Parts: sequence; C-alpha cells; structure tokens
Amino acid sequence: MRASVATRSLVGGPSLGRATLVIGGALVVLLASVVVAVGLGSVEVGLPEAIGIIGQRLGLPVPETWASTAPTILFEVRLPRVLAGALVGAGLGGAGVVFQALLRNPMADPYVIGTAAGASLGAVLAITAPVLVPALALGAGTAWLGIGLAQVLAFAGGLGAVALVLAIARQGGRSNMVTLLLTGYAVSSLVAAVVALLLVSSGRALASVVGWLLGSLGGAGYPELAVAAPLVLGGSALLLFRWRTLNLLLLGDEAAAGLGVDLVPVRRGLVLLATLVTSAAVALAGTIGFVGLVVPHLVRLAIGPDHRLLLPVSCLGGAALLVMADMAARLVGGVPVGVVTALIGAPFFLWLLHRAAGARTTP
Amino acid sequence: MRARRVWAFAPLLLILAVACQPTTPSLSPSLSPPTASTAPSAGAYPLTLTDDAGRQVTLPAEPESIVSLAPSNTEIVCALNACDRLVGVTDFDDYPAEVADIPDVVIFAVVDIELVVDADPDLILAAGNELTPSAVITELTDLGYPVLVVYPASLDEVLDNIELIGEAINARDQAAALTAEMEDRIQAVTDAVAGAARPRTFYEVSVFEGTIYTAGRDSFLASLIDLAGGGPITGDPLTFSIALEDLLAADPELILLGDAAYDASVTPEAVAARQGWGAISAVQNGRVVVMLEDPVITRPGPRIVDGLEALARAIHPERFD
Repeated sequence: MRASVATRSLVGGPSLGRATLVIGGALVVLLASVVVAVGLGSVEVGLPEAIGIIGQRLGLPVPETWASTAPTILFEVRLPRVLAGALVGAGLGGAGVVFQALLRNPMADPYVIGTAAGASLGAVLAITAPVLVPALALGAGTAWLGIGLAQVLAFAGGLGAVALVLAIARQGGRSNMVTLLLTGYAVSSLVAAVVALLLVSSGRALASVVGWLLGSLGGAGYPELAVAAPLVLGGSALLLFRWRTLNLLLLGDEAAAGLGVDLVPVRRGLVLLATLVTSAAVALAGTIGFVGLVVPHLVRLAIGPDHRLLLPVSCLGGAALLVMADMAARLVGGVPVGVVTALIGAPFFLWLLHRAAGARTTP
Repeated sequence: MRARRVWAFAPLLLILAVACQPTTPSLSPSLSPPTASTAPSAGAYPLTLTDDAGRQVTLPAEPESIVSLAPSNTEIVCALNACDRLVGVTDFDDYPAEVADIPDVVIFAVVDIELVVDADPDLILAAGNELTPSAVITELTDLGYPVLVVYPASLDEVLDNIELIGEAINARDQAAALTAEMEDRIQAVTDAVAGAARPRTFYEVSVFEGTIYTAGRDSFLASLIDLAGGGPITGDPLTFSIALEDLLAADPELILLGDAAYDASVTPEAVAARQGWGAISAVQNGRVVVMLEDPVITRPGPRIVDGLEALARAIHPERFD
C-alpha cells in the first residue's frame, strides 16, 4: 500500500473483535431476511413443509406432506427472486458507498454518473425495438447465454454511458470530481431524454418499459444469476480490498495526495469497479432506486465512516433491505419493488436533508 | 437528479398503460404471425398447435385445468362451456358472472407466477403483443407449462382464436358452432350498413392531461369501425394519440365516447365545453354518442360481435330500427 506506516493510525481500521461482531450481525440479519422471504409469498407454504422440502432436496427420506407444486414454488419461483434481491441489494449498497466516498457527496448514489441512464437506454431499446422496427420482432425472443437482450444491452449501456462520461470529463485536463459529477449529470440528462422519447413511442411495450424503469426482480432466473453474481460479488470484493484508499479519500484531495496517493488512477479504478457492479445489478433488476443512496447513510449512522466495515456491512444491509422490500412488494401484489424502496427511501432522504440543513454540516 | 425526471412520470405512464391495455388490442398486422394452424389429427392428444406468437405448443392430454391471463381468453373458454375448467383468471375478469368465484392469478395487470404454479394448470392461455409480458411467457414455459399465446390482430383472427382454443381444449364442435353464429351476425351487420355513407368517425378511448387517445392507424379498433360502416379517424399507430389540431382538421361527423363507459363525467355536454371542440361538426350537429359497450368493443372475445353491432347502431342508427 502507498499509505505509509506513519498513517497507520488513520487507516488502521477497527479491532478484529468489533469487525467480527458487526459483520457477523449483518450476516445474521441477511440470512434471516432470506429465510423469511423464501418462506412468505402469495402461496402459503408452511415452515414444517418448507423444511421437509429442503430435506428432500438434500436426499433425506422425508414423507411428502406438501402439495406437488410447493417445491417448484420454493426453488424455481421464490428462491431465484430472493437471491436476485440479495445480489442486487448488495451491489447497490456497496457501489453507493464507493460513489459517496469518491464524489465526497452525500447525495451520490450508484446511478449518479450515468449508469442508470445508460442502462435504461439499453433496456428500453431492447424492449421497444420490436415495436419500432417490426422486422426485429422475430429476433426479440432470442437469448444470449440464457440472458435476455434487455439485460445484455442494459449492462452494456451502463458501462458505455460511464465510459463516455469519463472520456468527456478527461478532456478538461486532470479530471476532478466536480467535473465528473457535472458531466455525469449532463450525459444522464441527454440519455434520459432519448429514453423518454422511446417511452412515448413504445406503444404496446409501454407497460414492460415502465416496469423495467421502476425496477423488478421478477425476471431474474438462475441463468441470469449465474452471470450477474460473479460480476457483483467479484467487483464488490475488489472494492473491499481498497478500503484504505476510500478512507483516505474522505480526508480530501490535498490530504490524500499529501499521503502519497496518486488520485487520478485510483479514482478511475474505483469508478470502473463500482460501475461494473452497478451495471450488473441494474441489468438484473432494472433501476431500483434509493437502496444505493440510503443504505450507506443508514450503515454510516450505525457503525461510523470507516470503509473497512462500512463497505461490507452496506453490501449485506443493502441485500437484506432489498430482499425484505421485494417480499413486501410480492405480498402486496403487483407493486414493482422500486416503488417499495422509494416509499421507504424518499422519506428517509427528506429526513437526511432536513438533518443536514439543521446541523449545517455534511454527514 | 434532474436526469431522472423521466422516473417522475413513470408511475403516471404505468397507470395509463394499465388503463389502456384492455382498450388497445390494435397494432400492426405485420407483427402478427400467420394465424393458428392446427395439427391434422382432430381430437388426438398429444396435440401440437401453433399459437399467435408462432410458437409450437404441445399438449400431452386434454387440459382439465386452465389458467387464463386475459379477460378475452376467459370469455372464450366460458363460451365453449369450459368455465368449470378455469383454475385461475385475472382481476379484470367480469364476464360471465361465474368467473368471479375463480381465483385471480393476475393482479393489477401483473402475473403472480407463484399463484399460477399453485393452480398447477394443464394449459395457460396468455395474451400476446406484450399484454402478457414476453418475460412472463418465457418464465412459465421454462417452468414446464404449455403456454398458448392468443393475440388477434383483426376480427377474423378473433374467430380463428376461438377455434384454436376449441382445438386445444377438445371443444371443436362448440367452437365451430360459436364462430358460425358470429360470422352470421357479422354478415348481418355488414349487409345492414352496405352502401350507406361512411361518416368520419372519431372513437375516443380516453383524454388524459390534454392528450387525446383514439384508435391507432391500422388498429383492430379502426378495422371494427370500418366494418360497422364508419370512416375511422385514427391516431399514431404507436402512441394511439391524435393532436387536437389534427382532430379538428379531420372534422369528425360522429364522436363515440368509449371512455364514458368508465367515467360518468365524460358526456356530450362536457365534450362540447372543451376548448376548441365546439367547432367540430359532430358537436355542432349533436352527434356525440356515449358508448357504454366499450368493454365488449375493445375485448377480443366472443362478445366482440356485440361490440360491432353497437358500433354499427351508433354509426348508422337509421339502418337499425
């Protein structure tokens, strides 16, 4: 590490005991959320039956006391959706932490520099293309590696938009974070306008487009999970290895540079990793709002700003939150999960603004 | 944050999308693959059918339990005397009355996959053209259910769809009898309006925040108005909307208020009071008609003929005394 021995006290991290306790606690919360979310749904599968079904899957001689459809509901319908919620929530929670540290902006979220706009354009293009160009209707059902065209284009769109933002921001010389933020805003606005244009001409695909924009975990199956999981988990793990750098960024540009960190490549690496994670998450579930904004703040309030804990706990917390939000969405019936997270997130966001204004400090 | 302004009107569009869904069975005929053809051997299972999405669907045995993901499909199944085989329908279903007792598996236009699996049907009747999202069709197919996608792009195809479903559920004779009766009634309508002047007809699907929605160009609804002896004034084939100035330039001789079936505040008087609408011939001549039959006009099921007759009576009252 470039951080020298002299800075060890600044970046040394918490004691091992506290780290174990906090991360272990977050893991328990996530596991409990997953168990509850797999247990509850619009069709009732009792706890003894659920345990029996799992036992049978593991090869135990359990008498079949459940409806023949129950195993399908648990393993083919509910579990992939819950796992997708955990994966997407983890990615958004972790990427949110990174963007807030990078941009030193409490309003930053994983979408802020263009990922969401780019991914939306990709997905909306994929969904509306057969409507706009009838000749494409024949190819609309084709999948690539078992993944739908919308997911592939959303992933590419998220990466592409951020690549464009980085390239433009770089033109102005040594890119600073304000330039990056403003460029991201400008590119997002432009892309969002194109998305809006496609939206009004999407005709019969309108409901699908809007459903995607609001975010939904319904379309995630095992093939999609198998592709998205390495991207989200691998990217998050690589980000976690950079916790010292993230802590240094909190000190400000001059302090970090004074401590021997060359900011330009470090930031670029962080932006690319966080964008990779975000794009994979968005491709899987659409633009689910607020998780990436709210979870890092919640976790920071609970355990403080040290990224060694903040990053992993935000991943676990984001996962648990989205699993529970999606369960609520499923139980209410027909509500996109993005609506549920926004219903939780927006009031929290307002409170945060109020609190920040009252304290005259930025969190 | 302003970059995400598009999200702000997303919920509004969702409402609009849901509101428009049952009323827009339209769309480019080019999107609709050739109509269902049937396997040669009648009454024999396993039976392989080609649905409206061009998919091959194989039924191992006569379906004893059916899930319908669209009200039009429900109506077709019930018209074929197979209502008792339905184990799941949509919360939009309202006809015939007995479907009220069948569990809903589609709630607020969203298919609850768990509930479909719980119903464990032998056959799922989906709607095409994204009314049932293609992702849902894929998921249900992957779960091993035979999913027949039903989507008529014209009145003729409604009849074909009735015969396709009749084939699928081993009710060919009932289907043939039903379509024969429907064909007779369609013929009676076209005979009745034959040779009559074709009034320029504007069918109002809805007016929302100043945007006027109507039959899209080349749409199902436009073809029905045409069959009923009217000259349809159509909107954009993708957005189903028409600008007020285009509507004024087209100068409808007859306005049919489909939205009045759901909103009592839509009346001929309210239409006359709208800014600019007073200049329209139909308004000046008092030819603005409430169409309470909108649900059957826009639902491509067996009662579509009722809708056609209602349209013909509204367009040519003089031919139906």
